[in-house]
Amino acid sequence: MGTSRRWIFAVVGVVAVAAMIFRPGFPLSVSQETRHVFDLIDSLDSNSVVMISFDHEASSLPEVGPLGTAIVDHCFRKGIRIVGLALFSEGTAAGYELINRRASAAGKTYGTEWIYLGFRPQYTSAILGMGEDLGEVFSRDYEGHSLAESPLGSRIHNYRDIALVISVADGSMPTYWVEYAQARYNVKIAAALTAVMVTSYIPYLESHQLTGIVAGLRGAAEYEQLLSAPGAGSRGMDAQSAIHALIAVLIVAGNIQAWRKRRSQTGRGTNQ
Amino acid sequence: MNLLETTTTALLTLAIYSFLAGDNPFYKFAEHLLVGLTIGYTLVITLKSVIWPQAIIPMGRGEMPGLVPLILGCLILLRLVPRWAGWSRISLALVVGGGAGVAIPAMLKARVLDQMAATANGVTSWAGWIILIGVLATLTYFVFTRAHRGAWGTSARIGRYFMMVFFGATFAYTVMSRVALLIGRLEFLMGDWLGILRS
Repeated sequence: MGTSRRWIFAVVGVVAVAAMIFRPGFPLSVSQETRHVFDLIDSLDSNSVVMISFDHEASSLPEVGPLGTAIVDHCFRKGIRIVGLALFSEGTAAGYELINRRASAAGKTYGTEWIYLGFRPQYTSAILGMGEDLGEVFSRDYEGHSLAESPLGSRIHNYRDIALVISVADGSMPTYWVEYAQARYNVKIAAALTAVMVTSYIPYLESHQLTGIVAGLRGAAEYEQLLSAPGAGSRGMDAQSAIHALIAVLIVAGNIQAWRKRRSQTGRGTNQ
Repeated sequence: MNLLETTTTALLTLAIYSFLAGDNPFYKFAEHLLVGLTIGYTLVITLKSVIWPQAIIPMGRGEMPGLVPLILGCLILLRLVPRWAGWSRISLALVVGGGAGVAIPAMLKARVLDQMAATANGVTSWAGWIILIGVLATLTYFVFTRAHRGAWGTSARIGRYFMMVFFGATFAYTVMSRVALLIGRLEFLMGDWLGILRS
């Protein structure tokens, strides 16, 4: 590994640490996409049910954790019921911990105001199965209670009882939600994504196959701003902006250096 | 998390980041631990959430439908025994055949037909026209049976510019994503572990 690359890592680290300690408070505007998801959830009736699927790996938690937290907080604040599940095994415990923590903070009761279904492999059959009979796919919830005996669990039979599905994802799972749940059962799907996935899902948003997208740490910060409740997303935005500015400067500097090098090589070739 | 858990997590984070200074035994240890834990965790979650409640417990009550997928799953494991590996093809044939049957119409509708309809119907605005031109120009770039010369070549070049914009945007979002992961770890190290961050 080259010495210059190590210097770049070191400078990025120093800038990130300095921005997190001193917090310069860079301004943040709310994007149309994030506001749309916020308005969508805000427009739901207080008694409606939102399904949140944690379709991500543990390594993506720093990015999707703040997003999931903001959305769960918004749902609980509105009195919306939450049905959690995971179609990625690594998202199972992370999703349960997240909703459980926010439910405790909001004073919400398990079984009546939220439930967690747990993990099912083979996402295709799980998504399709829930469209027919949710009880056939999940007869018991993550805590082992019978779904039929749970006040909230007994209320939901299929997607007709779900106002919105939100896939908290770091990969291609929202595509499968679109293919098997939206296209077949006409349920509204929104995606809370890692930033790296945004360009893959914009076409689905443009075609209205996805109802909304909120993405990355920036999306979390915007959502927290709309909730007037700064959290992990807002705390990270100063460092994110500072590092982006640094990387932009490094890219420009790298291009100038490459251009000068090429120019001097061309000049030497002409002289010879 | 208590102090022991926080310190263990912090040391493992530092072990992974030590790779930035070069490959070393601390990084190797943390990497192997991560791989092992991920496999173990997936195995336990699958046993606890699927095999036990969906197959074993119903069979204990005399309900046998869970036996069929359990046997088919066990057949796949026979791939590990070269002499009986052929038996795994029964399960794989079902997975591939069923999977393709379900996936092909769904993918064709959601990824091709609905996208085509949205592209065609979107020409009521400037953005819609730009999308339509981008799609057509990019498609001409991928026609390799005709030389990229003249008007066709111009269209292919425009398509290449559209793709370059897409790659640039994707790269920028990738940087944003990776920076967010770094910030998450730094917040843990400086906040939860060292306690030097304001909340």
